[in-house]
Amino acid sequence: MKYITIILLAWFTTFQAGQNLYVCKNAKVNLYSSAPIEDIKAETNSGASVYNVSTGELDFSVTISTFKFPKELMQEHFNSDYMESDKFPKATFKGKIAEQIDVTKDGSYPVTVDGDLAVHGVTQKRTIKGKVDVKGGVITMTSQFMVKCADHHIDIPRLVFHNIAESIQMNVTATYTAYK
Amino acid sequence: MKKYIILLALFISTDSVMAQDKKAPAKDSNPADSLLNSMSVDNGKDPVNDFKATRLILMQTTKTISKNTLNFMVLHRFGDLAGKNGGGQTDFGLDAIADVYIGFEYGITDNLNVDFGRSTIGKLVSFDLKYALLRENKDGSVPVSLTLFGENGINTYGVYNSFSARLSYLAQAIISRQITKTLSIQVSPGYSSDNTANPFIYGNDLHFFSLGGAAHLRVSKHMSLVADYEHPFSSFRTTANGFHDGVGAGIEIETGGHVFTLNLSNAQAIDPINSLSNTQQSISKGQYRIGFTISRIFDFNHKSTYK
Repeated sequence: MKYITIILLAWFTTFQAGQNLYVCKNAKVNLYSSAPIEDIKAETNSGASVYNVSTGELDFSVTISTFKFPKELMQEHFNSDYMESDKFPKATFKGKIAEQIDVTKDGSYPVTVDGDLAVHGVTQKRTIKGKVDVKGGVITMTSQFMVKCADHHIDIPRLVFHNIAESIQMNVTATYTAYK
Repeated sequence: MKKYIILLALFISTDSVMAQDKKAPAKDSNPADSLLNSMSVDNGKDPVNDFKATRLILMQTTKTISKNTLNFMVLHRFGDLAGKNGGGQTDFGLDAIADVYIGFEYGITDNLNVDFGRSTIGKLVSFDLKYALLRENKDGSVPVSLTLFGENGINTYGVYNSFSARLSYLAQAIISRQITKTLSIQVSPGYSSDNTANPFIYGNDLHFFSLGGAAHLRVSKHMSLVADYEHPFSSFRTTANGFHDGVGAGIEIETGGHVFTLNLSNAQAIDPINSLSNTQQSISKGQYRIGFTISRIFDFNHKSTYK
């Protein structure tokens, strides 16, 4: 009987471990395309992310239709023609931060994240560099990386070649608080 | 005592297991996954992507143009393709003009448009207000789109008893629903009121109800097939008196900020005030015609990012 209680108590403590989760519900994601005729900018403030401090796991999810463009027609075409957001409503990233972050100590750490980036239904293995700032128990992560349209089967017709770049610059800023 | 310790351990361990989100995909084995899914924005409340243009052939759609954008439209109906006025002698109707409408639509808000235009038939100058009351959304919580349309037409030339005799009105409730990802259908009950009978024949109804129906089928990313039909409920406007219901079918092509429609219809008139009141063209007599619509959207919202 003694052993059963020990086993059970040990079992229950393992549930608590690996649960050190930090969440962000309002990550800012910007996309920027620079082409000879036109610069295209869009932004969303509703990216969602979960960061597991113990395992280093970092998950990100953005709903494509939340990207706001200055021109309504651009937003319509982005959703219906290029991203086909009816078929693929979200872009996700599932990865792991290589460095171990100590969330109890304030500081700024450059990090490398390895994982799968799924956009337009096509997943690519990516290694993305970023920065993690810890201040008073709040984690802020920022990153800038390029997404190649061809990598995710996003077809840019030749007619608008001069309006839309082949690689889009992404900027992500996310502020995480501990999940209780 | 041991029993209680075991029970306590079980209770504490269940406390740290998170409930699976009902909407989470089946592959969720990770509490972080279900947490992520519950936090991310669902696009269910977004409006459905049904019509590409604010007009099909004979009638208006439930789509309104966005705030601070201007839609410039030119619609054209040629002469009879077949029948005694058609055939090769008139280049299948292309030699003759049945009606031309040139007009503008402006978005006061995303849901309220004001339109202004002029038709050749009746030298009709029309002002419309179009209000999107309901927009069908992706998760079906709003099942239909409902747009209210009110038009006032003025016959600018010709001899009339008074200024008010020149006026005509049309009120329509346009209801649409996306049946499948590619097919949307629409019904438009309406009420017309002409201050002077159109056509000006003794016994003609000045006020009558009407019903229109339309379908829009997305064939490719930029091309759709469209069809519409309208029927005036008027005791005078019978086939025996020479009146026929308006029918149209066509192809709609959307590129960048332009929408082009190429169509065939029996109705000569473009403006529904004219076509509902006075369509006397019969398909069986070959009195149908080629028509087209060109429209271009001008966006006045933010400073252009053109270099």
